[in-house]
Amino acid sequence: MAEHFKISYRQDMALFQNLWVRIWLGILILLLLMAPWFLSRYPLSILNEMGIAVIGALGLNLLTGYTGQISLGHGAFVAIGGYSSALLTAKGGIPFLISLPLSGLMAAGLGLIVGVPSLRLKGLYLALGTLAFGFIVEYVLFHWGLTQGDMGMAVKKAQVLGFTFKTEKAYFYLIVSLASLAALGAKNLARTKIGRSFVAIRDRDIAAEAMGIPLARYKIMAFGISSFYAGVAGCLLAHYQKWIVPGAFDLSLSIAYIAMIILGGLGTILGSILGAILITGIPHGILFLTDVLKAGYPALSGLVVDFKLGIFGLIIVLTLLLEPRGLYGIYSRIKIYWKTWPYRY
Amino acid sequence: MRKGTRMLAGILAGALCLLAGAVWAGDIRGVTDTEIKLACLVDLSGPGKYGGPPVAEAFKDCVAWVNDTGGVHGRKINLVVEDNGILPNTTMQAAKKVLLKDEVFAIAFNLGSAGSSAILPLCEENQAVLMPHGANRQFFRPGNKWVFVPHTVQYSMACRAVEYILEKSPKAKIGIIYQDDGFGREGLEGARAAAAFLKSGLKAEAPYKTGTIDFTPHMNAMKEAGVDHILLWTYLPQSAAVIKEKAKMGWDVTLISNNTTGVPPLFALVGEQADGYLLVTPYAPAHTDAPGIRRVKELNKKYGDPEKTLNNPMYPDYLYLAGWGYIESMVEGLKRAGKALTPDALVKGLESIRNYDMGGMCPNITFGPDRHVSSFSSLVLKADGKSKRFEIVDGFKEPKTPQ
Repeated sequence: MAEHFKISYRQDMALFQNLWVRIWLGILILLLLMAPWFLSRYPLSILNEMGIAVIGALGLNLLTGYTGQISLGHGAFVAIGGYSSALLTAKGGIPFLISLPLSGLMAAGLGLIVGVPSLRLKGLYLALGTLAFGFIVEYVLFHWGLTQGDMGMAVKKAQVLGFTFKTEKAYFYLIVSLASLAALGAKNLARTKIGRSFVAIRDRDIAAEAMGIPLARYKIMAFGISSFYAGVAGCLLAHYQKWIVPGAFDLSLSIAYIAMIILGGLGTILGSILGAILITGIPHGILFLTDVLKAGYPALSGLVVDFKLGIFGLIIVLTLLLEPRGLYGIYSRIKIYWKTWPYRY
Repeated sequence: MRKGTRMLAGILAGALCLLAGAVWAGDIRGVTDTEIKLACLVDLSGPGKYGGPPVAEAFKDCVAWVNDTGGVHGRKINLVVEDNGILPNTTMQAAKKVLLKDEVFAIAFNLGSAGSSAILPLCEENQAVLMPHGANRQFFRPGNKWVFVPHTVQYSMACRAVEYILEKSPKAKIGIIYQDDGFGREGLEGARAAAAFLKSGLKAEAPYKTGTIDFTPHMNAMKEAGVDHILLWTYLPQSAAVIKEKAKMGWDVTLISNNTTGVPPLFALVGEQADGYLLVTPYAPAHTDAPGIRRVKELNKKYGDPEKTLNNPMYPDYLYLAGWGYIESMVEGLKRAGKALTPDALVKGLESIRNYDMGGMCPNITFGPDRHVSSFSSLVLKADGKSKRFEIVDGFKEPKTPQ
């Protein structure tokens, strides 16, 4: 059992805690590299959606899960990233490789501004403040001539150093690479001074301030970093779908992101990834279910369509009831079970 | 180590399952020697749920008839009806499913303009013909090789409404209440263009946010502007609210609206207050005796469930008829594409349709290489509050305003 104890700070702070984690990660990377060669375009398209959601969810978890700042405007930052890149590439002729970080920075800039009220607002009041920001962004996107209203605008295909991303397979590699980078960045951030300050603020902001953590700087920074992630996710989404409409970034998207991090596990990187996969996967799962039922039980299939939103909600409620720590909690329990098998403790 | 081996085996088993799900593409997606797969994306859940089933029912009836009479060049149509939830995100999911998983040849119907815009690049990439409904002018102007609109659009209907008013009362003072989105703004643009074309203008314009049901301020604004005709580029609940507001104000103002409000549930909402309510639509009411309507009714009787559909006085018949317009256009395009069916052949087949006879059910269908919208014509209907029906007061006409 000695191998399970961490006996130095170096071990405690390690990015990948032990050999098994590294082996599993290696297997995962191998599987991801091989996936496009075996999967058809449809499952690949779902994986691409999931990858983009992972980036956005990581950003929100840094803000809400790690720093304890609730945001109902995350979808708006995704929209800002998407529209920034769409406009920069289409109107400004800027290459995708530059517009990608720029759209993240654009969202981060606005995130820093939205973060300012967080110094005075907490809990529900902050939620309302960010919600209002989401409505303002939605209104602007609907009414600004440049964004072409609710019918949306065309977005160029992503292009890097002369290579144009045309297929699901090409986008898969791009999205998975960026999602991995985002996860690595978030994991690294969480173990730095900044990450620890975020957690201290979440646990008790007054105590954190008493310990010398400047609340203003870190709260605003959390908004900025979170928005950067959202902006990058939006940019990828826009170039992947090649069309962008304001209706795709309404309140329901912000709520979906909150559901991802709560269901996945607040304050955990793995939780963000699992939550994003689950929430993005549920609608596709329901589609699959209705298809399976259509042939044998058409009435039941119709019922599933009727209660689609209800089923979606039920899955969320049941997950939270059965495991309040979310999917990360389930993962932890399974891990402990295997570690201690055949003993219960 | 044994634990690790077991988990590794589990992951490999999972990977094999994914392998089993892999799909290999055929020569032409959705086409075999015996079958053509077509998709119909309608709203079976979400805010527009009411609109989806009639369209799906029309598609099913028409496909059953086509298959029963030998199919298209010996190929039966395999119809995939999918819920698009009308929102852009949900429409994208549905379109991906039918194109990438079900591998349909074309999308013969998609309800919702924003959702249709969102899936356009996907259809282009997959060389799938898309027929959007609720379509805006941008779908055929400047035009896209893969998009066909077998439907008169809101712009043309708004032009027709203004021209009808000014023809009856050249000095009419017209105002407009419109939904502040693509649908409403297209109505506004059409109304402005027609008014300008006839050397007139709109006296008042009042937008409203989607979901509004209190129209007191809008109606007061109209009254203050001294209008005597109000154009409503609204949906059913909003039109019903305006009719009630008009009755409450005791104001004898003429209301003229668009096809989406010309459904029997309007009478359930406002009763006899609907009397005199005008609307512009490309679809004749199902109770009329046009040959096209008679034919559709016979086929509905044979292949569908008339008691639940066309014989049901509360059924939104225009949506059912719209469905027929779409699927018949597609079937005619497939026939003209010939036995060697390819996406390009279907485009050429559709572009070769000239004046396809719809028997007075809706305007005849004409497409061309430079024209991917079937018609600009529409009818004017008037609500009869007592009989709870809409009657034709002016036949099919194209607006004079340039389209």
